[in-house]
This record gives sequence, C-alpha cells and structure tokens, in this order.
Amino acid sequence: MLNANSPLASGPSYSFATPPNQTSTNIKQHSFNPYTDNGGSTLGITGDDFAILAGDTRSTSGYNINTRYAPKVFKIGEDDGTGESAHIVLSVVGFAADGNALKERLNAIVKMYRYQHGKPMSVKACAQRLSTILYGKRFFPYYVHAILGGLDEEGKGALYSYDPVGSYEREQCRAAGAAASLIMPFLDNQVNFKNQYIPGSGEGHALEARKATPLPRAEVEQLVRDAFTSAVERHIEVGDGLQMLVVTKNGIEEIYDPLKKD
Amino acid sequence: MFIARSEYDRGIKYVSSFPESRLSSTSNTPPSTFSPEGRLFQVEYSLEAIKLGSTAIGVATGSGVILGVEKRVTSTLLETSSVEKIVEIDRHIGCAMSGLQADARSMVEHARVESQNHAFHYNEPLRVESCTQSICDLAIRFGEGAEGEESIMSRPFGVALLVAGIDEDGPQLYHAEPSGTFYRYDAKAIGSGSEGAQAELQNEFHKSLTLQEAETLVLKTLKQVMEEKLDSKNVQLASVTKEKGFRIYSDGEMAEVVGRVPTN
Amino acid sequence: MNSLVAQYSRPAFRNEGFSEREQDEFSQITPPLSLRFAMPPIANPSSFLRAVTDDHSNPNCPIKLAHGTTTLAFRFQGGIIVATDSRASAGDWIASQTVKKVIEINNCLLGTMAGGAADCQYWLAYLGMQCRLHELRHKRRISVAAASKILSNLVYSYKGMGLSMGTMCAGVTPQEGPALYYIDSDGTRLAGNLFCVGSGQTFAYGVLDAEYHYDLSEEDALELGRRSILAATHRDAFSGGFINLYHVKEDGWVKHGFNDTNPIFWKTKLEKGEFSNVTSELV
Repeated sequence: MLNANSPLASGPSYSFATPPNQTSTNIKQHSFNPYTDNGGSTLGITGDDFAILAGDTRSTSGYNINTRYAPKVFKIGEDDGTGESAHIVLSVVGFAADGNALKERLNAIVKMYRYQHGKPMSVKACAQRLSTILYGKRFFPYYVHAILGGLDEEGKGALYSYDPVGSYEREQCRAAGAAASLIMPFLDNQVNFKNQYIPGSGEGHALEARKATPLPRAEVEQLVRDAFTSAVERHIEVGDGLQMLVVTKNGIEEIYDPLKKD
Repeated sequence: MFIARSEYDRGIKYVSSFPESRLSSTSNTPPSTFSPEGRLFQVEYSLEAIKLGSTAIGVATGSGVILGVEKRVTSTLLETSSVEKIVEIDRHIGCAMSGLQADARSMVEHARVESQNHAFHYNEPLRVESCTQSICDLAIRFGEGAEGEESIMSRPFGVALLVAGIDEDGPQLYHAEPSGTFYRYDAKAIGSGSEGAQAELQNEFHKSLTLQEAETLVLKTLKQVMEEKLDSKNVQLASVTKEKGFRIYSDGEMAEVVGRVPTN
Repeated sequence: MNSLVAQYSRPAFRNEGFSEREQDEFSQITPPLSLRFAMPPIANPSSFLRAVTDDHSNPNCPIKLAHGTTTLAFRFQGGIIVATDSRASAGDWIASQTVKKVIEINNCLLGTMAGGAADCQYWLAYLGMQCRLHELRHKRRISVAAASKILSNLVYSYKGMGLSMGTMCAGVTPQEGPALYYIDSDGTRLAGNLFCVGSGQTFAYGVLDAEYHYDLSEEDALELGRRSILAATHRDAFSGGFINLYHVKEDGWVKHGFNDTNPIFWKTKLEKGEFSNVTSELV
C-alpha cells in the first residue's frame, strides 16, 4: 500500500533532471516526466485520545537540498474568517507540488462541506473523501503517500494511511516516504509490540504474545523524535527540522524540533 | 414587439411565424421569465397543480416521523397496491408526494442517487436537510439552462414532497415545493385537502406526541378531508424511526391503525 | 463552422488557470456520479501509467501500487466460504500485513481483493452503491449474477487503461442459491464452484482441489478455507499476515475472524502433524 522504493538502493528516482530517452536509432525523444521525488518522510501514531502526525521539513530534488523548511503536515479545514479551528490533519510525502495540490483540494472540500451540511466533517467521512479524490486521478496519479489523522466519533485517535491512488486502511501507526523502510520496522516493534512475548507466560511455542496497548502521549512524542533522529542518521533525504501536529480534543498543537542540518 | 398581457398571464409561449422575430427576446417568453409585476407565473401555476393532488400528511414526533397519504381509488378494478405515493429514498429517508406522480419519480430518483453518492464519497448517511436541498436544487433547474449547463425541463415540477427522515439531529420533516423553497415542519399537510388538514394539525399537534398518537392523528386528519370513506385500502402510512429506518406499513398494520381511528 | 471558430477564438486569458470543468469540480464538494477521471495531457495515457506505476516491467517506477495476494472462495451446501490473506507488497517491501481483502459490498454480498488495492476498494464500493440503487428501484435484492455483470461491464469499459483487479463476488439469493462469480480487469466473468485468485492461487488450489466436495459440513468448509490460505502463505512470499474468513448465507454473511497466520501454522503443525518438513526445535 505504501511506498517502498528505497533510494538507498536505487538512488533518487524520476526528476526534471532525467535526460530525454535515447532510442536505438539515436533520435532524441522527449518523454513525459511530470514527477519529481522531493524526498522526506512522514509518520503518524495514535493513542487513546490523541493522534500525532509528524514530518521532517527538508525538501530535496536529486541530491540537492531545495529548502530546509517545507512543511509536509497540514491542518485541514481551518477557517481564519470564521475562527473555526481545524480538527483534521493531513501529511503528504512524495512530490511536493502534488502534495500541495491535494492539500488545497481537501481543505476546500472540508470547508465547503461545513457550509453545505452545517456540521464539521468527521474524520471517517474525510478519510473516504480523500480516497475518492486520489482515485479520481487513477490514470494520472498524485505522486503522494498521504496520512490522515484526527479523532473519531468516540474521541479516540484515528489514523488513515493511503497509497497514491486511494486505497486506504485505518491503522495505529504508519511511516511513509523516503525513510519508511527505516522507521516502519521500529514502529512495529515499539508501538505494535510485534514478535514480543511475555516472559514466563509459557514454554516454547506456548509463549504468549505481548498485546499492543495505546501509548501515553509523552511516550509517543518521544518515539516520534527517536524515529526521526535515527532516520536522519541514515537517510540523505531526511533532516533539517521535525514538525509535529498533535490532535487532541482541545485542538491542534504544533511542535517544531530542529534536526541535524547536514 | 409586444404581446398582450393576457397571453403572459396564461403563460403561453409566444412564437411568431415570422422567422426574424425568433431573434427578438421580448416575443419569445420562456416559462422562467418574470412578469412585469415580478411574478413567475409558471411557478405559481405549479403550486396550483399541487392543490389538485391527493392529500398527504406528515407528522414529526420525538421518536420518529409518520407519513400518510390518501390513495384516490378511482375504480373498483384498480389494484390499490400499484398506487405508490410514499417511497423510500434511503434507509433513513422517505417521502410522500402530492401532484404529478411522474414528476415525482425523477425527483425521487435524483434524491436516491444523491443520497447514495454522498454515502459513497463520505461513508456516512446524507443528512435529511441536505437531501431536501438536493431535491430543491433539481426543482429549480427548469427553463433555459445556464451557459454550459444543459437544461433538463421546460417547466417547473408539478409536485410537492414531504421529506421525512432521521439523522444525528433526530427525526425531521421537510416540505419541498416546486419553486425550490423548503421549510421544516412539525406537522404539514399538502394537496387538495391541505387547508382543512393543516388547521386540524395546528389544533391537535403538540411536542409530546408519541409515534402511535401520530399515526392516529394522521389518519384522523386524512379522514376529515377525504371524499371517500377511509379504509385500510385507500390510505397508506409509513414511518421513519431510528431503530427500523424507513418502513411502509403492511396491510395488517394498516388495518390495526385504521381500527384505532375514532369513528364519528 | 461558426461554432468551430467560436471554440478556438477564446481570448488567451480564458485558457489560464483552471478549466470550467475543473472549477465546477472544485466548487462541488460531492462530485456528481460520473465516471470521468483526470487524464495526463498526452496522447497515450496508458503507456505513461505503465511507465510510472508498473513495478513488474519497470522495477524503478516511482509510484508502486500494492500487489500480491491469495484469495479464495468456494460454494458448498451451506453457502459460500470466502477466505483471504492480508499482505500487501509493493515491490519487495511489505506495505501492510493487515489489509482487509474481503470487501463487504452490502450485508449479503462479498467481494474479494486481488491486484490493485485501490481499484478493488473503489469499484467494489461503487458496485455496492449500484446494488443499493437497484434495490431501491426494483424493491428487491439484486442477484449475484446481475451485480457481477455490472462490475464486469464497468471494468471492460476501462480495458487497456491499466486497471488491475481479480475479484470474486459471492452471495446467496433465494432465486440463485449460493452464487459465485470471478471477474477480472480483462473483462472475464465466470460462474463457478471454486476459485483461487492471486500470486498464491496455485498453492491454495492444491489444498482446495484435494479436499473439496460440495457436501462439506459448515465446520469442515471453514477449516478447508483456512487451511488453503495457510498453504499459500507458507509457500508464496507475497502472501501472509492474517487469515480473513467469511461464511456467506442466505440471510447475510458471517465473519469468522481475522487471525494471525503464525499461531495457526504452529497449531496445524504441532497438533495435526502437518508441515513435517519444518522443524519445531526452538534452539
């Protein structure tokens, strides 16, 4: 569902810098290259009464760093005019232009929804709508991996992850982008307690698996920081700054922590 | 080139036999053109058409909405079950109609598609008010289409709907007119007997009605304004409740409710 | 001719920004029911799509979609069993181990997901909507034959454009009894007793064909479905995760769990003595 192309192995992929295709007869031919991979990584984790979405703020193309502050996580449905505060957050990683277009579009739709139906859009409704938006470009996809976060009808943290053409799933945690393959195994271990067993609960095959329980907010925030500082150590496209949006019933809190800038 | 007032009033679409006059906008009066007094006669006539229709009543209570219609049984050979004046829009929304049935079909189809489309895009049921709004959006799409938008009808619809439904704001009843306006009511009657029925509802309605009391109120009111004698074949009831959603009453249930109506 | 001139003599500023259609789409929060999708502005959209999304022909493609699966469904005297694994892989990366590959079209129809996850999710949800409209218009439940035909006609109209789905529609109706159809994005639509679809289909067929007969008891049928998926997760690297098991009856479907394959594998090995080539030593 989510992207796996590890630039560690294959190097940064498609960009404007890609030379025109050479055919065997040596005739130059221009190909249609609408995408650039802007690197970076995003991550979302939910708890009992909160959801955190985080992303680094570096933007790259190829081996060049374009800027050290290009946010990848956004508030959705905030209206300065009416003072209405947002309660949904979206993170996008992949091609930043597509990501911005997607954010703008979802933002417009969430606002229009409130005017037309007289109520704020629920995260569940927003999740389905985002899926159909992405699928609407099935034949010319948005090159993005989106994660949507918020609180569900019961006030529990909700997180939905998407593939570029809109297949989605509600999850406890998800990492996307360049360092997904570095961060996701860490989350499997630290959030979902995968392959951990309760000591002394049995012998051999009878050992009982450790059940995943929602983590407290302070612990999750620290996990996010650890995930990103570690990814920065081993991935060239991740770094500069860590931006976190924390959704709770009191609103959305923004936290910025610096990351290494080399 | 001017045409007589009387022709305006009758709403006749005046087309001259002279080809050049087709270009003149004043002589070619589409039905969606204001009269000099600022009235849209076609719309006003469509409201009149509803007053010819059979009576339909809706009553909203705290636990659900009751819809009731009279079926005009014009012949003993008529199969009464084929007269459909209450229809389902979605599990949580239904509607009763009065006026031109054929027009109602396209409105109901539109409402059903809108409701399903909303569920498809938002994974949640459409709100009753939004559903009524979408019906009214269709109702005002008569006359010449706007640029780029294709016109679908040359005249307004000749039917009014009572839209009953339930959502997170509880049970609701809306009245949608051909003019495209809609209002929310606690209790509303439309059709030929609407004036008498509305007065009766005004007297009898109170906020603490139970669903069962609403059933009898609807039938009692229908009975007063119907020309035929009310029985379980020439009226139809439906309810929208939180537990069961929209539901048309079976013959057995109809007989039971009709039996409860006081005879006098 | 005049209309042609009018069409091509728009002032230049009109071509800036968004087209009227695009503006319409922005202002309408719920787009109308249409099957119009955005297309890349080039002559051959499908080859573009293949170049950027098909990791089979181009392992370095930028957009990798989820693939790899084992799904199965079979008819028996007590209804239909539907079982799937839950792994989604993009290239050699396991994108998810918790994909719900049984899609609940409505409370009596099930669809399965193989191929593109988004294609299956979207079109089966679309099918669910069409089935509901059919029900409202005709006042009775749609037959499985009709539902599967809606889907196959739909994907056929997109043939060659890059959709990728292999799905099974399972349902029980009074007029048909248990009915099972296989539909894929080439336009194939087949009725049958049993189907396995996906990269692990051959392994599942191996178990299913050996043990299947129509008069299976409900309990045995559920166990056969589970065991066939287990075999596929054991031998197909693209299949794994959890076993998702459903039983479709006339009054609707019943879910029989979404269970981790790992304990099921060890239970099967240790209690039944199967998979004897695998050592159970923990050292």
